[in-house]
Amino acid sequence: MGNFIKTNQNPLKYVRIKVADHSHIYLRDKQRCQRECENKPCTYFCPTRVYSWSGEDREIKVAYQRCVECGACPWGCPYDNISWSFPPGGYGVHYEL
Amino acid sequence: MGNDRYDVIIVGAGPAGSSAAQLCAENNLSVALIEKGEFPGSKNMFGGAIYSETTATIVPTFWEEAPLERPITEEKIWFMEPNSVVEVGFTGYDFAKSPYNSFTVIRSRFDRWFADKAVQKGAHLLTSTLVENLVYEKLGLTGKKVSGVRLEDGSEIYSEVVILAEGGWANLAEKAGLRDNINSKMLTIYIKELLALPQGVIEARFNLEKNEGCSIGMVSYPTAGAIGKGGIWTNRDTISLAVGGFLDQFNQKGLNIYQLLYRLKGHPKVKRLIEGAETVQYMYHQIPRGSYDNIPRLYDDGILVTGDAANLISGRHGTEIAMLSGMYAAETVIHAKAKGDFSKKTLAAYGNKLENTFFVDNMKVRKKSKIFYQKHTDSDFLISQLANEVAKVFFTEGFRTEQENINNMLKEVENIQPLSKTLSDLYQAVWHWRVL
Repeated sequence: MGNFIKTNQNPLKYVRIKVADHSHIYLRDKQRCQRECENKPCTYFCPTRVYSWSGEDREIKVAYQRCVECGACPWGCPYDNISWSFPPGGYGVHYEL
Repeated sequence: MGNDRYDVIIVGAGPAGSSAAQLCAENNLSVALIEKGEFPGSKNMFGGAIYSETTATIVPTFWEEAPLERPITEEKIWFMEPNSVVEVGFTGYDFAKSPYNSFTVIRSRFDRWFADKAVQKGAHLLTSTLVENLVYEKLGLTGKKVSGVRLEDGSEIYSEVVILAEGGWANLAEKAGLRDNINSKMLTIYIKELLALPQGVIEARFNLEKNEGCSIGMVSYPTAGAIGKGGIWTNRDTISLAVGGFLDQFNQKGLNIYQLLYRLKGHPKVKRLIEGAETVQYMYHQIPRGSYDNIPRLYDDGILVTGDAANLISGRHGTEIAMLSGMYAAETVIHAKAKGDFSKKTLAAYGNKLENTFFVDNMKVRKKSKIFYQKHTDSDFLISQLANEVAKVFFTEGFRTEQENINNMLKEVENIQPLSKTLSDLYQAVWHWRVL
């Protein structure tokens, strides 16, 4: 998974995520991303790159393990195609100092 | 855990939920406070500061015991261009002593302490517990009333009333039919980086004493043309650096908040403050920017909505309003308990209490500002540019008469946009600057 910036520093290195064994994110209609969505903004507004376009499979891949629960994607998707819920209790992003 | 019955179930142990829990428990109601994170605060993020007066309403002289970082004595706004900054600020040394004004805090520490106050007063705190849905019972012939919650393992907990303090995602409020679907125009997303530096270095760089702190609001440059803001807060031995803005703007302009943060860290004015600092944590969060028009229905039979879940955010006041709305919800529930009636007729008192608060008044006034910003997305940018251009001419020394200097400044003003638009932008900016 590529990162956003030149240094290739990975923001997830500094975030603790307890990954659940099943995804809390799914696409309602995978074909729709290819068919209707030109810009695929999920691939750039998601701060931790959960979403990436796979040219090979012609679909958006969802890496739920990278999700920091910012809540942007279900509203950011122009086609209301992202179904998002919280990971199970005690899982997901964890901030502690 | 199943089949317990409480007077009140509170979903979410953030500032709204824990305020409500403290007050309810204090008044001898049985309280279940349910938190999805490992501990309260472990999933929470905000810019940086809580306000003293509000917090003291819930816990008087909280500064004697709460885990606080620094009292804020310096408030600044930076209008930033790539190579210059116009700074406006206020330093109040009175803010470094009781009753203070505001404090920087770290949520994983503060929220944990704040929820613990409720536990000390008798609330039952359930952590690592996700509420999946609401449970209803029949009310009269055709009606229904919320009577508890269903957890992800399928077990149910019952109560007379449920207070939703679930945060901006507000899944349950939506399921209860209280809140309309939100959209990307109403949603801001923020990123924050915590950067560690020795205390002494922070104090030297920000010109602070040991028990003083600084908050800086950053306009224009941080969001690269999108509507939003940046911010810096000094904690004890870390600096919070945050940036964010409206999601629809980031979508249109193809921006990413992680890239914006990286770009901001390279600005000459910011770079020297964080030089050599070690990244401790990245944090991300959404803030619903509803206005008065999209406050949801705040109550129904057996249910109340508080804090971010109710879009109760006005300018920089999110945590504070969350605490107060939690308090008003608790007062309403305590009254309902005494009356033995948790129908919406009784709970309507909560709506009335909120209607009379300073923050709902502010939200009414400010609903126009949001419209203004959506229409004139470039106004922050133009004001910042103007301030910087004019200041540069003013401070540039050379062989010119004063009249020439004034003429040059006026020329800069007119080069940016028609004077009338500038004046209107300035007026709007002063009127609305705390909105976003």
